[in-house]
Amino acid sequence: MSDAQDTGTKVDDRTDNLPEGVGVRAGLGLVRFLAAVAVPVVAFTALWLTFEWLRNADANRIVIVIVAVLVGVVGIFILYWGMDFTVNRLPESWRESIRPWVFVGPALVILAIFLAYPAINTIYLSFLDARSESFNGLENYGFVFTDAGMLRSIRNTLGWIIVVPTISAAIGLGFAVLVDKLRRGEAVAKSIIFLPMAVSFVGASVVWSFIFDFKIFGAQTGLLNGVWTAFGADPVSWLSQEPWNNLMLMVIMVWMQTGFAMVILSAAIKSVPEDIIEAARIDGASEFQVFWQVVIPSIMSTIVVVMTTMVIGVLKVFDIVFVMTNGETGTEVIAERMIRWFFRNGHNGRGAAIAVVLFLAIIPVMYINVRRFRAEEEIR
Amino acid sequence: MTARVGAPVAAEPGFFKKLWDRWPIKVAVIVIVILWLIPTVGLLVSSFRIKAITEAEGWWTVFSKPFQMSQWTFDHYSSVLDARGFGNAFLNSLAVTIPATVIPITIAAFASYAFSWMEFKGRQILFVIVVGLLVVPLQMALIPLLKLYTSGEFFGIGTPFPHPLNGTYMAVWLAHTGFGLPLAVYLLRNYIGSLPSSIIESARIDGATHFQIFVRLIVPLSVPALASFAIFQFLWVWNDFLVALVFLGGTPDVKVLTQALAELRGQFGQFEHVLPAAAFITMALPLAVFFSLQRYFVRGLTAGSVKG
Amino acid sequence: MKRMKWLALLAVFALVVVACGDDDDDAATTLAAGQFEGEAISVFGAFTSVEGDAVNAVIEAGFNAVTGAEAFYEGSESFEEQIKIRVEGGNPPDVALYPQPGAVVEQAELGNAIALEDLGFDIADLEATFGSYLLSLGEFEGKHYGIPTNVNSKSLVWYNKPVFEAEGYDTPGTLDEWTALADQMLDDGYTPLCIGTGSDAATGWPATDWMEDIMLRTAGADVYDQWVSHEIPFNDPDVLRAGEVFESIWGAEGYVLGGAENIPDVDFRDSPDPMVADPPGCLMHRQASFIVSFFPEGTAVGTDIDLFPFPDIDPGVKGSLIAGELGAVFNDTPAVRAFINDFISVETQCEMGSQEGVQRISPNTGVGTDCYSDPIVGTISGSIVDALKSGGARFDASDLMPSEVGAGSFWTGMNEWMRGTPMAEVFQNIEDSWPTG
Repeated sequence: MSDAQDTGTKVDDRTDNLPEGVGVRAGLGLVRFLAAVAVPVVAFTALWLTFEWLRNADANRIVIVIVAVLVGVVGIFILYWGMDFTVNRLPESWRESIRPWVFVGPALVILAIFLAYPAINTIYLSFLDARSESFNGLENYGFVFTDAGMLRSIRNTLGWIIVVPTISAAIGLGFAVLVDKLRRGEAVAKSIIFLPMAVSFVGASVVWSFIFDFKIFGAQTGLLNGVWTAFGADPVSWLSQEPWNNLMLMVIMVWMQTGFAMVILSAAIKSVPEDIIEAARIDGASEFQVFWQVVIPSIMSTIVVVMTTMVIGVLKVFDIVFVMTNGETGTEVIAERMIRWFFRNGHNGRGAAIAVVLFLAIIPVMYINVRRFRAEEEIR
Repeated sequence: MTARVGAPVAAEPGFFKKLWDRWPIKVAVIVIVILWLIPTVGLLVSSFRIKAITEAEGWWTVFSKPFQMSQWTFDHYSSVLDARGFGNAFLNSLAVTIPATVIPITIAAFASYAFSWMEFKGRQILFVIVVGLLVVPLQMALIPLLKLYTSGEFFGIGTPFPHPLNGTYMAVWLAHTGFGLPLAVYLLRNYIGSLPSSIIESARIDGATHFQIFVRLIVPLSVPALASFAIFQFLWVWNDFLVALVFLGGTPDVKVLTQALAELRGQFGQFEHVLPAAAFITMALPLAVFFSLQRYFVRGLTAGSVKG
Repeated sequence: MKRMKWLALLAVFALVVVACGDDDDDAATTLAAGQFEGEAISVFGAFTSVEGDAVNAVIEAGFNAVTGAEAFYEGSESFEEQIKIRVEGGNPPDVALYPQPGAVVEQAELGNAIALEDLGFDIADLEATFGSYLLSLGEFEGKHYGIPTNVNSKSLVWYNKPVFEAEGYDTPGTLDEWTALADQMLDDGYTPLCIGTGSDAATGWPATDWMEDIMLRTAGADVYDQWVSHEIPFNDPDVLRAGEVFESIWGAEGYVLGGAENIPDVDFRDSPDPMVADPPGCLMHRQASFIVSFFPEGTAVGTDIDLFPFPDIDPGVKGSLIAGELGAVFNDTPAVRAFINDFISVETQCEMGSQEGVQRISPNTGVGTDCYSDPIVGTISGSIVDALKSGGARFDASDLMPSEVGAGSFWTGMNEWMRGTPMAEVFQNIEDSWPTG
């Protein structure tokens, strides 16, 4: 087995080349399965032992922090190294078919436990009643698609999906491109756009009360009303003005999320090879043309990633709505309804059914991603 | 660190063109920066102003009388910093946040490499499922996971899953790892998958194993992507309140910073005036992290290493 | 040297034990020193900050110091969400202090909470201590699950005392007097009332308190109970009648500062501020006792602001609206039993009231008004104790109704009503939202 054969990067599935046939194939499958299972088990045990020590040692908290960091950084890495070491000791023909599972196995196991299992559990709950005691068929789904508040939340969420990712990505991209051209101050400018991401949610709700506040008596403490009343108008309770209040809530999300788009897109722009850009310039392309015809196509996959992430982020947004308007005056969104029904109204079935609607809502987005993924693999 | 390839719009195009290029850019940048800063400035001003004035007038009035000393105070900051158990909560936040940032990045980087450059059955479908899991709202995961942590049960069926796990750092690390992994895998695969295949191929020809390629080539080349994800994950975990409260609890020995600060507010919000100061104190560390990682977001890192 | 230290410690310990022994002779509950050494008891509730610290201080100095137990109160602002997660996730606290009695009954129905009878409590004793009404709130299938730990009074109206004195206004004792006074204020160029029901994700609750106070004084306690338990519909004529009274208070032009339609947009925390401004923006404000902590700094209750009980409406129909919390027990251990006994005792409750800055009022009718560090809280506690003894107290209806209504459509319905939706439609909507089965 020469390395040359392996260099095709897409290492062939060795099972097909084996002459021994079905028995070996089954055995190999079993080994592969065991390896995939063993990997996380070994990982877990190692972490567990360290952790047990941490818990039992009545250690100083600073020591705990340091050990915790070591476990995180070194522990995890040694784990992968150890697994790779083990795989290298396996019969040669098995190695390359097991190795991918060593790399991907821990991620899959953790995701299966921490996200897939709760997701399946949610789907199951969506067919049960308020207290998850008995089966009630499609009743919860009937509620989801007939309740007036739910229908408004679906309408509003569509609006959020269209407005927020588009504006955030546009500003994030534009800003990333602009500051890239600055000779000085790039770090500072980026930090300012990034800053809202660092504001905890409690902080953000206070921040925006300084903008939207409404007082019926005395001086205004919200900036919008401060400006508005300076022109002699009566103060307005901005967040109860339908339908504009929806836009105002979206502004908050844009403010918080643009930093994400900007950081990711900025990294992508910086990784566009300089020689391609130079070549285009030498060919006489204007900066504008360079941007649209060279930079944008090079970072298209990142743009899709950023948009996808933000669409999903918007689908899950609820705290902004909850705190600012409580989902009243026509500002319901799907995730806010989900939290309300599941936690506040204590109706597990309805809450879960609304969550399932969220799962379904991303199917189109995932379809776009699959196509993108395939296309990318083909041109490689 | 590889050489910085210099400012992009460098010398060539001539002085006047340069000037023309630069001014609109600066204006646009400044306008966006100001728009983004306005809300935060309100918060900053209020964090230093006495309660009576913050409640009685708009924060922008400060610009008409910045030197009226009676309006300024450090009391909000000192009351936050003096809050019971603040120091301990800060350390707890670190003990939660650092591993909960590093673990998912490491796991996701290996997985992303496999999804990009290794061949195995179900690769595409698994990747799509991983990304699709982004949509699972973590609130829906809390109850089943807590049940798993307390009793080791999946769907009410006992398993050897080690329990009880709740109330330990490990419980929170794992939960944050799970919640952060889909985005990590998605972002990192996008980056790692777009690295030129020629690098990996030539390394394979030189006899490098996947593990060696990953450690010696992929990780150094992916520093900008790793750094970006590190920032986001750090922020989310640092600012998280819910996951820590559910899996770690809210007793003084394990309380994290966000919990300690949220409690300052009071049941009906009597002490809400300290929140702006609290917000700045919580922001300080993430911003420092962002600033320190800035130097990894440099152009030419990829190109430089590849050519080198 | 080391030995000396140990001896000294032992001596101190012995003194403590002896001292405690002395106390125990007089106390109703007997706690033995070191009885529960190292046993953790978790108590979870919704109050935080000063009140949470005060409760922990009392537990630490009393129960923990004597028994060696590690009882700790943990407060969370997201209590409702948290307690659901912890109970359903199989990790309940030993004791949860629920602000909603309905939730205690729900935990009883689900088989999670442990009945007080099974914990060895004598219900007759408890009824003598707390009045039978509070105990009945946590009743399910003949057993009792909720132990009262705190109450506060809602039926209070605060007013600008200097203006009342200067204008010679009398505090109204009946609705007719209230209306006459309000009209008089309007004539004199004042705005009578400040109402604000904005409360982030709970906007509308202060308006439900108004409705409940009026229901108690028009329909009476018995109909109030039927309303709460949905034996009469939400838009029953009796409820509509209370609604009309409420609308006559806020609906008339000029009665409420800022106009009715803005009521849900005024934060309840800021809403009393205009009352103490100079010149005042309004003269009266109805809110529970905790609102004192939101008055602008330097406001002196008793001189700048004073209070009167919410006026009677129909002759002979009386009631007192209260809120508070009921403790539900999830784990039965000797330490937990001893803890609860100690926690609700007159001594411990009195000690809590004496803590600085605490607005908590004890539901234990044996706790005297002189226990409270704040004389106003003491006075209010006196009237609550009377109402609990006489059976005239009623718990906040929105905390007793199913959460879809009590923390949902009832709140939002009030907001829609004030923003202009007709009353009949609002009450019909709330009725429709009542969960079936």
